[in-house]
Amino acid sequence: MKARHKLLILSAIALCTFFTSLMFGAQFLNPKTIIQALIDPAHNQHFAIWENRLPRALLALAIGAALATSGAIIQGIIHNPLASPDILSINHGASLSAVSCLMLFPSVGLWLLPLSASIGALTAFFILLIIAGKRTGPLKMALIGVALSAFYSAIIDYLMLGARQEINSAILWLTGSLWGRSWHFVAYAFPLIALLLPLSFIFCKALDLLALGEQKAASLGVNVRANRLSLLTLAVIMAGISVSVAGPISFLGLIAPHLARRIVGGRHRYLLPASMLTGAIILSMSDTLVRSIAPPLELPAGVFTALIGAPYFFYLLRRTK
Amino acid sequence: MNRIKSLAQWLLPILLLAYFILLNAYLYSPIAITTTDVFHALTHKLQNTPYDNIAQRLVIDIRLPRIIIALLTGAILGISGLLMQTITRNPLASPSLLSINAGASLGVILTSAMMTLNIFPSAITGIFTHISLSLAAAIGAFFSWTLVLWISYSDGRIQQNRLILAGVAVSAFCMAIGKVAMILAEDQASGILRWLAGGFSNMTWEKLYYFLPFVILPILPLLWLIPKLNLLRLSDESAQSLGLSIQTIRRMIYGIVLIWVGASVATTGPIAFVGLLIPHISKYIIGYDLRTNIPMCALLGALFLLIADLIATALAYPSQMPAGAVVAIIGAPCFVLLAKLRNAK
Repeated sequence: MKARHKLLILSAIALCTFFTSLMFGAQFLNPKTIIQALIDPAHNQHFAIWENRLPRALLALAIGAALATSGAIIQGIIHNPLASPDILSINHGASLSAVSCLMLFPSVGLWLLPLSASIGALTAFFILLIIAGKRTGPLKMALIGVALSAFYSAIIDYLMLGARQEINSAILWLTGSLWGRSWHFVAYAFPLIALLLPLSFIFCKALDLLALGEQKAASLGVNVRANRLSLLTLAVIMAGISVSVAGPISFLGLIAPHLARRIVGGRHRYLLPASMLTGAIILSMSDTLVRSIAPPLELPAGVFTALIGAPYFFYLLRRTK
Repeated sequence: MNRIKSLAQWLLPILLLAYFILLNAYLYSPIAITTTDVFHALTHKLQNTPYDNIAQRLVIDIRLPRIIIALLTGAILGISGLLMQTITRNPLASPSLLSINAGASLGVILTSAMMTLNIFPSAITGIFTHISLSLAAAIGAFFSWTLVLWISYSDGRIQQNRLILAGVAVSAFCMAIGKVAMILAEDQASGILRWLAGGFSNMTWEKLYYFLPFVILPILPLLWLIPKLNLLRLSDESAQSLGLSIQTIRRMIYGIVLIWVGASVATTGPIAFVGLLIPHISKYIIGYDLRTNIPMCALLGALFLLIADLIATALAYPSQMPAGAVVAIIGAPCFVLLAKLRNAK
């Protein structure tokens, strides 16, 4: 099968999971009710669908896509199969920054969140690069990233325990969840992600060439430094925006690109969209599951991605020399 | 000169420990406690005479078990860290990073979830209540540790580079399952977060009595092991040629650590980084002889947790903050530093 057809199938699956996530929740609704409720504002399910499930379902797709792309780009650039925004402490750095921002300026609007999360993500990434140095093997880099993550989450833990926040927001900033995310979040996160995702396609060719190694890429006429810098910034900012909405969803940025590579191979023209779709599907499915497994209780979505992602990480570790 | 130095090396931590025990006994109490109250309360307790005031009762019933549990937890976590670092020959090895804490937490969570949910018929639940939480924690820790070993084991030995990452990933996995079970089973989700941070609030004599046998039990095999420990720093082959059964010793150490960590997690919740940090400080102070390092680790671990508990109480006063949160903030940067310094590829 051609890669293009596989992408089509993936998109179809993504669409299906999107509709499924509208159907499931505290109460199961059949597709007919959903369409009626969407069209008719007087319908008794209109509020649940329109204000509750729809923004969440959209955000799950967008954030899954953004985190997965971010992971794909980072893995492609630093040639490290273990790299991803969550292992390299970017997610928790963004999360810490967002939490401190919320605590210091509680009255400021939501628009500050993606900004502070992105700044936190960038800072975390630079701290990682400074500490790890240039010539670091994949395992050591991952180790330092994990250590930094532990540090950031220790501070978040401390802030959360001290401030007596309600439990859901604490779980959100420590594990990642889409609980209570409404249109406000869609309104700021969607345009940003919709802008940044296509932007990454421009770099497909550069990414392919960079995968050959720095020297070869340079001799083939790629401006290695500029491309790397802009790509990494792009990836880190995407992770930051995702975290500002859903918290540090673990392992998603790691496994989605790996799965996508298995499906469509290593060419970034196909790999990037495939990663996006895989990430969107995984997060959308996780979010549906955590909502409908024991309503009205809700689990953090990050828990489910960890349940799938951690065993895959074991497998990767066993392979990495 | 050397004798004075070695005397000071031991005396200083001991004096500090005594000092902080006193501070922990009376500082930051909602009902003012004076230093004299502390001593009077102790004499009253020993002579079995009635207390003079409520402050003295507070010292005996609330402060004292809290201090003793903090001391014991610090000591056993410090020694566990030293044992793990020795046996895996990895300076980053410690119960928290090798997922032993997380596995133990999972054991505790699953057991208590089963008891609250009444999934099993009452006969089986009855057995479960009799098996203490500590044992469930040790069993959970055993499974997670086996998983870590399996992931990091290839070509006939533990791959050092993978070990810690494997531990962290298994921890994440265990915590994910644990969170699911907890949120589904418990009504009070905010209590979960506090328990997971690990701390010494709400310690009672009863908890101490349940804790104590698990602390004392592994000491006997440890005493037998101490003279042999230094040989473990050699390679497996040379240790074996000196007449040491590495496999037996390794299993014994795993057993000791699993029981200790299991008991501490069941009592106080998972407290990270003590086992990572303390052995390094201890080696810095008194050198590399493992025989003297064991009591030093116990001493420093106990001191560290007492100080952390005091800081946590002071920061959140008059409310309560889990000491584990403070320990994590102090410990995590040291983890970063150690990860950096490690000359792995």
